[in-house]
Amino acid sequence: MTYLMRRLAFMFAVLVAVTFLAFSATNVIGDPLFNVVGFYASVDCDAVIAGEIEDVIGTVAGTGIGECERVIEAREKYHLDDSLPVRYGHWIVGMAQGDFGESYANQMPVSSILAERLPKSILLMGVSMVVALGVSIPWGVAAAYRANQRFDRASTAGAFGLLSIPGFALAIILFYFFVVRWQIFPSRYMDDNIFSRLHSLVLPAASLGLPLAVVYQRLLRTDLITTLQEDFVIMAKAKGLSDRRIMFRHVLRPSMFGMITVVGLNMSALIGGTIIIESIFSIPGFGRELYVSAIRDDITVVLAGVTVLATAFVAINTAVDLLYSYLDPRVRRAG
Amino acid sequence: MPADTNEHTTSSSRTAKYWRKESHVNVAHAARMAEPAAEPDADRAVPRRLGVTFWVAIGWVALVTGAAVAAPLLPIADPDQIGIGPRSSGPNWDQWFGTDTVGRDMFSRTIWGARVSLMVGFFSIVAGFLVGGMMGVVSGYRRGWIDLVLGFVTYVMLSFPTLVLFLLVILLFGQGLWIVTAALSIVVIPSVSRLARAITIAFAEREFVAAARLLGATNRRVMAREILPNVLIPMSALLLLGLGLTIVAEGGLAFLGLSVADGFSWGKMIQLGAGLRTLQTAPWVAFFPIGAMFLTVLSLNLAGDQLRRYFDVRELGIGGR
Amino acid sequence: MSANWESGVAEVAGALLTVQDLSVGFLTEQGLVRAVEGVSFDLEPGQTLGVVGESGSGKSVTAKALMNLLPSYAQVGGTVNFDGRDVFAMAASREKHFWGVEMTMVFQDPMTSLNPVKKIGEQLAESLRVHLGRSRRDALVEAGDLLEQVGIPEPGKRLNQYPHELSGGLRQRVVIAMALACGPRLLIADEPTTALDVTVQKHILDLLDYLRRTRNMAMILITHDLGVVKGRADEVMVMYAGHTMEEAPTTTLFDEMRHPYTEALLETIPRIDTPSHTRLVPIPGRPPEVIDVLDGCPFAPRCRYSIARCLTDQPGLTSHGAGHLCACHAPVGTPSGTEARAANESAGTTAAGLDMDQFTRQVPVADLGQSGAEG
Repeated sequence: MTYLMRRLAFMFAVLVAVTFLAFSATNVIGDPLFNVVGFYASVDCDAVIAGEIEDVIGTVAGTGIGECERVIEAREKYHLDDSLPVRYGHWIVGMAQGDFGESYANQMPVSSILAERLPKSILLMGVSMVVALGVSIPWGVAAAYRANQRFDRASTAGAFGLLSIPGFALAIILFYFFVVRWQIFPSRYMDDNIFSRLHSLVLPAASLGLPLAVVYQRLLRTDLITTLQEDFVIMAKAKGLSDRRIMFRHVLRPSMFGMITVVGLNMSALIGGTIIIESIFSIPGFGRELYVSAIRDDITVVLAGVTVLATAFVAINTAVDLLYSYLDPRVRRAG
Repeated sequence: MPADTNEHTTSSSRTAKYWRKESHVNVAHAARMAEPAAEPDADRAVPRRLGVTFWVAIGWVALVTGAAVAAPLLPIADPDQIGIGPRSSGPNWDQWFGTDTVGRDMFSRTIWGARVSLMVGFFSIVAGFLVGGMMGVVSGYRRGWIDLVLGFVTYVMLSFPTLVLFLLVILLFGQGLWIVTAALSIVVIPSVSRLARAITIAFAEREFVAAARLLGATNRRVMAREILPNVLIPMSALLLLGLGLTIVAEGGLAFLGLSVADGFSWGKMIQLGAGLRTLQTAPWVAFFPIGAMFLTVLSLNLAGDQLRRYFDVRELGIGGR
Repeated sequence: MSANWESGVAEVAGALLTVQDLSVGFLTEQGLVRAVEGVSFDLEPGQTLGVVGESGSGKSVTAKALMNLLPSYAQVGGTVNFDGRDVFAMAASREKHFWGVEMTMVFQDPMTSLNPVKKIGEQLAESLRVHLGRSRRDALVEAGDLLEQVGIPEPGKRLNQYPHELSGGLRQRVVIAMALACGPRLLIADEPTTALDVTVQKHILDLLDYLRRTRNMAMILITHDLGVVKGRADEVMVMYAGHTMEEAPTTTLFDEMRHPYTEALLETIPRIDTPSHTRLVPIPGRPPEVIDVLDGCPFAPRCRYSIARCLTDQPGLTSHGAGHLCACHAPVGTPSGTEARAANESAGTTAAGLDMDQFTRQVPVADLGQSGAEG
């Protein structure tokens, strides 16, 4: 149990560090107040309200000091007068209750933005992962089984090729052939039902999943080849077990460690890739939203995004560690 | 985890050469050579040397680099000149790579695009290796609280979503060439640091380090003279592979408009060519920079992999981009 | 062993295993490594054959050839018949229920022979389920019985343990149990005790002997130690550099050895009745790599009996009595052999250039109570 506790504590510490960094950074960029109230931010509204200065800008909808009141309201709402750690504290408390604040751009609660857009991104990432694993595991096994013979050599060449194409370039190539020329897949995301959604996601998932599949396959292949040299494999053959049984029941499980580590570490790459892919294929997911928000300084959305992504990354890596101990009983005893 | 069997191959091939001189070779060695430990081969034991693939790949990289460096001197068209040729025309004798939607020479643009792509890629990976390498070696050698602190820092860096990090850096500091390079190297550092740390730990436990310390070498001296050379060799083999990754990363960022503002790289060119209309009417606008990037990264991957096998570095996944 | 080699009879009535002219080569960069060359023997049911040789003599490769465990780049020749069935043909047609059932093998290192991430019970039960179609529960019960038969205490508990939780001796017993699961008629044990403590070695060898007798199982016991086969094997085959040097019933071999190599091997065994401070007699030099065709006898460079003919003519197996074969031009105990040795000793060197004086320099220091400082 203490192992689990330690992992969770570590997770927590990392998340605090990441979110605090992001928070500090975003609050240094420009003036958050400016993002909400525009150039009124430069007005000394306290003085205006106190009547010391004329409201030079003018009024809105007939109210003399209306603008400044709006400014003051905003300042209070977003705690903009408080120091950084305090503001961070407020933000954390709100987040724990599910309140991520409101988007500066359109006043919509960020949590609803998340609710609407996050599922699509998750679906995309999930399908991509399925593609990646579904392609890489059989491929790795087939390549390792007849290592350095024709299939393996050919697939290594192919792997190199795929590895050398960046995800977005692959997406464009796929888009060109399958959407522009042959028109098999739609040019934008069709949200009608689960089938149209999956249909729209085929190319994006392939663009994300295939490069990953190549990386995973190479790792798996290497580890499989190493494990196949072990004495217990010879022993299993001496027992008269079929090659297939040996491969899938004896060799595969111990060989998956390297691959699983990278799956965990590659989450950042997957997430980063999602943002690009969503842009190319016009998928209204959270990645695109995050990117767009960052461009226009919509800090609350960016912060929410950072938190979600970092949490996902850390959670997955922790899960990977726990998976280790399940797969290898020797680790179980130690941990 | 399976033991490192590469050592057997190395020592037995060394021993084999010795024995052959005396025309005496132990059959056990011969049998082990016949069953190579590292990678089984269908026909024969796998030799380890840099083959044709390596040199061809290096040749391409050299060609591209040379063209990029010499771009201002080459007799090619002005890459920014609009209307040098008819708009959106395909490859022909006047413009080898055709023109883009405003009539700029694609061939020249591809060469000029190489400059930014390669510069950012190169300097960021080198900086990343230097800083990350140092962090990793110190971390792996000193262990203790330094290791914990650096480990935590590394993990935080890894968890921070890459693109967001980039966005933040750019929004704070602008999109100059060196800013982008620095940001990219920050992304590279955690993975490199992990790698260097793992190698350092493997070496620090070996006897010759203990011997050096017994002889009174200070920590810094041991790190510099014993550990560092042993870390540098496998890592330099990975440098080419890393360069491929940074070029791709820069490409992705440029595609999103987050790379160097002044000037264009292959990524930016791809972005310009990736619109639906452009793909329909002038697909080469996107495909030539894609092709250039693909060939270059492919060459780097091939050469890097050959180098890695030559120096016998186990494939440690460099996760994250 | 009742083969009649001179007439080249291929199959012998009653023999369980017939190996004829087995050869194995590995294609490498340097050329063809001939690991096994022209090995032939028979095995009757319930008999034990001891195969003795240094590392690199080809004994393990022979075993692997029989068990279809050689890598794909191995080139195998000759014929092997098990109970009338052509083993190599079965290998080619991927026969599923032969190895592991009729013919099984036990390897040297029990730690690495077992899958570290699987429970013992599971690994034991596997053969039963795959080959004999037992259900999981039945298989586990039988596995427990097997563990008991090989002398493992608390078999029920062991079934749920992992290999790393057992000691070396117990692990080897588990491996033996695994090999016995389907009731094989032939068990090949490749250096089964080399990786174990000396005290455990005897127990394991005794266990193998006991199992062999109670199950009427034939056994091939491979070892580098002649002492192991004495008293435990019915026949012994001595191998060197892939060739058979001598083959004989055990007592005959020890009492009337013919091959110089066998004699040298015997002399390397320290004996309890030699006076203290007697220098051990090693065999000088190292085994050769057998690449491409060899002229002459492979042992000639290290042999005390070698004559000119040994360097040019490879000796074939000749009979020296009932079931006793030897491949030598100047065998021990024969007139030609004794002559050759005497000639070499007086000349101080053999036809192959071996320094004979290094043997005569060994003077056993009589036990005079001195603190004999032997250099």
